[in-house]
Amino acid sequence: MFAEKACNLIKELSRNEGVLPPYNMDLVKEVCTEIKLLDEQNKSDGAAVANESGIANYSNELYPTLRVGVAAVKRNVRCLMAYHYNRLRTLRTMRWEFGSVLPPDVKANLNSNEIEWFSKYSRSLTKYMMSLGDEGLNLGVNLRPPKSLYIEVRCLVDYGKYELSDGTVLLLKKDSRHFLPRSECEELITQGVFQHIV
Amino acid sequence: MDDTLEIDNLAVSESEDELSLEQMIEVIEEAWLNEKFAPEILPHKTEIVELLLGQITHMEEQLQQVSSTDFKKGIHQMELDRLKYLVTSYLRMRLEKIETFFTLILKQEQQRTEKNEEPYLNPNEFEFAQEYEQSIKDHFESIMSFCPNVMDTEAQIISPNVNSMIILKSKKNIEGITVDDGNAENNDLIDLTSGSQILINYNSIASLLKNGDVHLI
Repeated sequence: MFAEKACNLIKELSRNEGVLPPYNMDLVKEVCTEIKLLDEQNKSDGAAVANESGIANYSNELYPTLRVGVAAVKRNVRCLMAYHYNRLRTLRTMRWEFGSVLPPDVKANLNSNEIEWFSKYSRSLTKYMMSLGDEGLNLGVNLRPPKSLYIEVRCLVDYGKYELSDGTVLLLKKDSRHFLPRSECEELITQGVFQHIV
Repeated sequence: MDDTLEIDNLAVSESEDELSLEQMIEVIEEAWLNEKFAPEILPHKTEIVELLLGQITHMEEQLQQVSSTDFKKGIHQMELDRLKYLVTSYLRMRLEKIETFFTLILKQEQQRTEKNEEPYLNPNEFEFAQEYEQSIKDHFESIMSFCPNVMDTEAQIISPNVNSMIILKSKKNIEGITVDDGNAENNDLIDLTSGSQILINYNSIASLLKNGDVHLI
């Protein structure tokens, strides 16, 4: 059946909400081939159906085939675009979660176009943030309304020395617990160095 | 939220602006709520955001000078954090809307420039929107490059549901709001008294909201 493969792409999307599975190159290629074949088929059908002045002859026996073919192409294109667009949206959410550097496991699942898009997006976002206020404003912090000034965090890795904005130097060891100002550790939490203990 | 955002005189600079910090916070809070609940993007409030950002930097500098053992410092820091969250959250929401409805927003901006109306996006946001559109376009073009003539650009436009329901509070007496229910023949008219609240579809009051006669809650 036409557009069945494209539909599988969409199914893959809805199964993996919020995460990025590996880019399904094989299936995308198959859908592309289907579109190409259908498009060629449609063109030759169209030539047969149209009369000399270029207007379709409805009584031609190929006319229904042509209609189905065109609809199938449209559906395929739509699915293909939805697949790619929604992957970009997920990627965009990840830019806000992880910052401008993607974790390697996510990066491995992207295709080269997506990596290029990500760096472009990242660049325009940084540019926009720099244009705010006098010296730029990082929109990537203060993501949640502050509930308390200090929070308790656990260190997940051996990070080494870390200097707070008031000059105190902390030694961050694996599994050590700290009670720190929220603004100081927000970035380290997104980087995965800290875990917030609720 | 109202009473927690008061900041005492220590942090307020003696600027010659007509707005006090308290008024500025009120304005941004209203803008934040409006932006949060309105389905489409609203006119930008760049001046107030810039002013507030200046104030935030100023307050941070002042806080640096207070000794860390001072009990008041914690409270002020907390206020400052709340204020920062308000501003960043407001800007983030606008960006999200721009990203979701970029084609439509850019189209509307174009129409506004043609009619010499005030743009809804500030220049920086506009630039961001254009770059975003370009990057998405490039991406799609590289995907569809195998068969260039089948792309259906019209179908790509994502638009917000401007008929969604919102709850608003009126700031003054307004008479004769037409409730647009998609049925042109029997439109109901309603009057709002100052301070009244109502559940209504966004379309009917979009212009009032942009004038600042009502605000969303």
